[in-house]
Amino acid sequence: MNSFPWLSMIVFAPLVAAVVLLAIPTKSRTTTRIVAITSTLVSLVGSLRVAIGYLPGGGYQFREHYPIIESIGINLDLGVDGWGISLLLLTSIIIFAGAFASWTLTQRDKEFYVLLLALVCGVFGVFVSLDLFVFFLFYEIAVLPMYLLIGVWGSTKKVAEAGPFRFLFRLLDIGGKEYAAIKLTLMLLTGSAFILVGILAMYDSAGAHSFSIETLGRATYPRSLQMWVFPALWLGFGTLAGVFPFHTWSPDGHASAPTAVSMLHAGVLMKLGAFGVMRIGMVMLPQGAASWAWVVGCVAVVNIVYGALAAMRQTDLKYIVAYSSVSHMGVVMLGAATMTVEGWNGAIYQMVAHGLMTGLFFALVGLIYGQTHDREVGNMGGFAKSMPAVAVFFTIASLSSLGMPGLAGFVAEFQVFLGAWNGPMPWWALAGVLGAWLTAVYVLRAARRIFWGAGPPARFTNLSDPVGTEWVALVVLTACLILFGVAPRLILDDIDTTTVGYLDTISQTAPPQASAGVRP
Amino acid sequence: MTSTTSSADASPPPIFPLHADHLVLNLALIALLLPLACFVLLALVWPLRRAGRLAGWLSATVAVISFGASARLLMLVVGGEAPLTETVGWLVRDGKVIASMGVHIDGISASMLAVVTLVAACVQVYSLGYMAEDSLPAQGRYFTYHSLFITAMGGLVLAPNLLQLFAGWELVGLCSYLLIGFYWAKPSAGQAAVKAFWVTKFADMGLIVGLLALYGATGTFAWDAHLVGIWATAVPALLFMGVMGKSAQVPLHIWLPDAMEGPTPVSALLHAATMVAAGVYLIVRAYPLFELAPSLLLAMTWIGASTALIAAATAIVQDDIKKVLAYSTCSQLGYMIAALGSGQIMGGYFHLTTHAFFKSLLFLGAGAAIHAVHSNDIHDMGGLWKTTRISALLFITGSLALVGVPIFAGFFSKDLILEEMLEAGQYVPVAMLVLGAGLTAFYMTRVIVIAYFGDAAEGAEHAHEAPWTMLLPMGALGLLAVGAGFGGDLLATLWGQQYHFGMTPIGITTSVIGLGGIALGIMRYGTSTWTADLLGGLRGFILSGPVDRFWDSAWRQGLLPFAQVVGWFDRYIVDGLINMVAWLFIFLADRIKRFQTGRAQDYVFAVVLGVVAFIAYGMVGA
Amino acid sequence: MNEIIAAGPGLSAWLILAGVLFSVGVYGVLSRRNLIAILCSVELMANAVNINLVAFSRFHGDTLGQAFALFGIALTVAEVGVGLAIVMLVYRQRQGIDIDDLHDLLG
Repeated sequence: MNSFPWLSMIVFAPLVAAVVLLAIPTKSRTTTRIVAITSTLVSLVGSLRVAIGYLPGGGYQFREHYPIIESIGINLDLGVDGWGISLLLLTSIIIFAGAFASWTLTQRDKEFYVLLLALVCGVFGVFVSLDLFVFFLFYEIAVLPMYLLIGVWGSTKKVAEAGPFRFLFRLLDIGGKEYAAIKLTLMLLTGSAFILVGILAMYDSAGAHSFSIETLGRATYPRSLQMWVFPALWLGFGTLAGVFPFHTWSPDGHASAPTAVSMLHAGVLMKLGAFGVMRIGMVMLPQGAASWAWVVGCVAVVNIVYGALAAMRQTDLKYIVAYSSVSHMGVVMLGAATMTVEGWNGAIYQMVAHGLMTGLFFALVGLIYGQTHDREVGNMGGFAKSMPAVAVFFTIASLSSLGMPGLAGFVAEFQVFLGAWNGPMPWWALAGVLGAWLTAVYVLRAARRIFWGAGPPARFTNLSDPVGTEWVALVVLTACLILFGVAPRLILDDIDTTTVGYLDTISQTAPPQASAGVRP
Repeated sequence: MTSTTSSADASPPPIFPLHADHLVLNLALIALLLPLACFVLLALVWPLRRAGRLAGWLSATVAVISFGASARLLMLVVGGEAPLTETVGWLVRDGKVIASMGVHIDGISASMLAVVTLVAACVQVYSLGYMAEDSLPAQGRYFTYHSLFITAMGGLVLAPNLLQLFAGWELVGLCSYLLIGFYWAKPSAGQAAVKAFWVTKFADMGLIVGLLALYGATGTFAWDAHLVGIWATAVPALLFMGVMGKSAQVPLHIWLPDAMEGPTPVSALLHAATMVAAGVYLIVRAYPLFELAPSLLLAMTWIGASTALIAAATAIVQDDIKKVLAYSTCSQLGYMIAALGSGQIMGGYFHLTTHAFFKSLLFLGAGAAIHAVHSNDIHDMGGLWKTTRISALLFITGSLALVGVPIFAGFFSKDLILEEMLEAGQYVPVAMLVLGAGLTAFYMTRVIVIAYFGDAAEGAEHAHEAPWTMLLPMGALGLLAVGAGFGGDLLATLWGQQYHFGMTPIGITTSVIGLGGIALGIMRYGTSTWTADLLGGLRGFILSGPVDRFWDSAWRQGLLPFAQVVGWFDRYIVDGLINMVAWLFIFLADRIKRFQTGRAQDYVFAVVLGVVAFIAYGMVGA
Repeated sequence: MNEIIAAGPGLSAWLILAGVLFSVGVYGVLSRRNLIAILCSVELMANAVNINLVAFSRFHGDTLGQAFALFGIALTVAEVGVGLAIVMLVYRQRQGIDIDDLHDLLG
């Protein structure tokens, strides 16, 4: 079984490519891209291989084990389950598409790719690590390059803010890429501090001198500990997942970030947060999760409806998409909060669906912005005349986001709603359904204002459809959206097995136990 | 690796159970998947799509083959073929399939499929002529959407459970959105398309919640589940909310008149014959659920009857020929809903069938007139009888069927509805429906008199008769508009019921009222001497669109400002607080940094002070 | 040897001397404005420490202290070398060595 270290290959291929890129003093743009794309392709192939080779029956497979600091139980311990497979696939698809979407970048492109690949290594690592310390390490690797990626390569266009507090905005340089970068980094690192405290508390309480997720998962923690560690993890990971009211880094960050970074950030990184809440928070601290589930769910509902309404008000295209991410991540958190099989299946599926969808959105927004240098929806109109293919892809992404059957978004949202209806508070499902309708309202409104109408305004005369490599991202992402929308069982069966396994574990450990310790 | 758990007996990989020798199944799959293949082909192979004409012929051929397959299927089912359900698992939960996709073939679905594919085939052939003046890529796009529509509608009709029905439901809604917005360069078309989507999707919220509740109560999406308690009423009521949107019942009908922005054949197929009837089909399909909710059924009767009356009254004052027909469609759907509410599923379904034929015929006829004069206004058409005699005749045939003149199709189905409702004791709704029938006769007469027999308008004098591609499907539908009424027996057989036509007092009354409406219409609009305006005051009120205004203000003064407030709140309060924290740190740091004088001596002084304090502490502590 | 100790001043006298010397040094560092003078004051402080080391070494009979004092003197030389170099560079840059002009670290 363990003949070839597939997971290591997936995780470290981007890192190796990053080092290679640093080492070769190339000035050739093509070489840079070929190296980067090859490494993402290696990861993609590896992910597919793992997904196909994963045997039904669940559990962690493709295990690898390399000791790092054995005295305190830190190991590079890799393995995937159904959740991991889905998210590995998502990540490798998005980064593959993202590497193509950055093809036209000109400024310091080598460094850009180096940071991008390092970031992806971190993302892959989080999804396959079975060691909490390494998990956290990868998590930080995934978060930190974002600072430079946004701060250096971000969009220089500032968002002009009007209103009575204009002076404050000027004082803090709000709207600039540097502001967005530092805001994002500070908020996420504050979250990380909570996570680290939570992890150390668990390590200490379990007393097994091991950071292994499996060992820690078998331990039972005192209720009092769970009651504060779970919220800490929820807040920490939740900040990255865009949980209200700690979501505000997301619109600014996504709006300022370059295309591929937006794709990766909204498409994959936000999922790290949700994955952390579910995998670490809920599975390992079931009592805390059960006690706090109603808060998680209610906040998720706020996310969904509030995010959709806020998106409706935006006039900047990137802000619309960013707020829609806030809204859709609410669906993921809602599914998680239900603690039901349908809800968790739906939550993981929504991560995949939303990742693909929002990746496609940001790729398209990047294409549009690259030609118009304007993101103000009110200035656009009639773009379908000059960029029909973009209009088609945008419509498909919109439809997936509003839950059109046949696209991945529906499969995900519907399962989440099913879970919510059968969960602790059925009215959550109503709010979710309302959110889906609000999504239809703002996303179709935006599509109409951008693409429909007599023709582009005079200042946008030479718009055109994507050319050459720009097609790759669009086609790949759209194909996956349709594929996962039509045939959900390609990954749903594995997700389901894993979910059921976790929920079984939770129901076994549910009875409160006074003392902490590893169960025999 | 870990040992396999008990859930290892997961179902085998999803492969559609094709049986080479299973004719019924294969026919259904041909009807369903051939248009899908055509859609995929046209969507992916852009040179073919942009070639236009070829794409059109391909799509139309596929539609005709699809109809052939469903007709053969219907014959087999009429011939006594047992109902058949074939599915593959689609969603799983705990290793078990909770939702499946597939086909369910019985009398209801087979007959509906035949109706859908027949009208679709006619409309596509018609479109070959009607759309000929559009650019070639536009034509290709048009037929691509149409192929998708047949698949989606087929999936809806053949659905083995409510979830697939819902999937098809949403997909036909998508086709509707795309086809209403077909002329996307026109701002009004874009607004109409989005409005149609929003309104139907708004209603679909009820449908989704209904599905959730159904699943919550029974664990399946089956339409014959047995519900108890509150859910017995709540689930069908929620489903009915979706129906009100899709089948354009007051007050959610507002999107249908606007939907006339699409090409006329689209209105004929989607917004008259098939898609809007999906709501009625849903109720027929899920009748075992609706049956258990008598209070809901009563509400349905009243909503249906009100819609029939209100929409018919609104149709009278419209000048746009398509809007007249659109309100007429609302009105006729009201008849069907009212019939279903009274427990007369056979009557409602029969009317759905005949309505599909004559209303699509009317739209195609209207399309021929529009094609001839390039205007939707009936006053621009005047005198078309002289130039386009065949299509005028067909239009009049359709009108007679709609009005319910005896021997025409509409007569039989409308008569059946009224008769059965009367038996059920629904006197007031019946009166409303009969009055509606009179109004129907009046507004159709108005259209015919003005458009075909009125003073010749400028453009109408040089109008040309439509090409054969348009006349042929109209002729086919015309035959059905005349003859479909005699198919009641056939339909009844499919349902395992008895149907005997007999002339009853209510039938006679309705016919008389209908003829009276025609006479009144001819008197009012045929001669200019009779000038008393029956509807003077009402006309202004109806034209101002009270229901539309209500929704419009809900949107403009409700949702949009609320979103503004939320956006402001997010920017200034939520984000403001976070910026405030940042600002607080900057502010404090600004104060604290004053300690950094930058003079080395000050730092040394601080060190000395510290040492002194340390020593002092040591001496005091000691 | 012991007679000398007995005859001379006691340990505390040496420590008081060192203390006074150190205080003078501190005062110099804090109050002088001229960099050279500050450097001299620092030397005073360093030598006060050296006196302490030698005194303790003498009175405890442990020669290690004297070794440390020698080591300290060597370090002081290096320190003066670096310090004077800095002073010279400052002079070149600013045409003066008044410490009040050097407040670039002002927050």
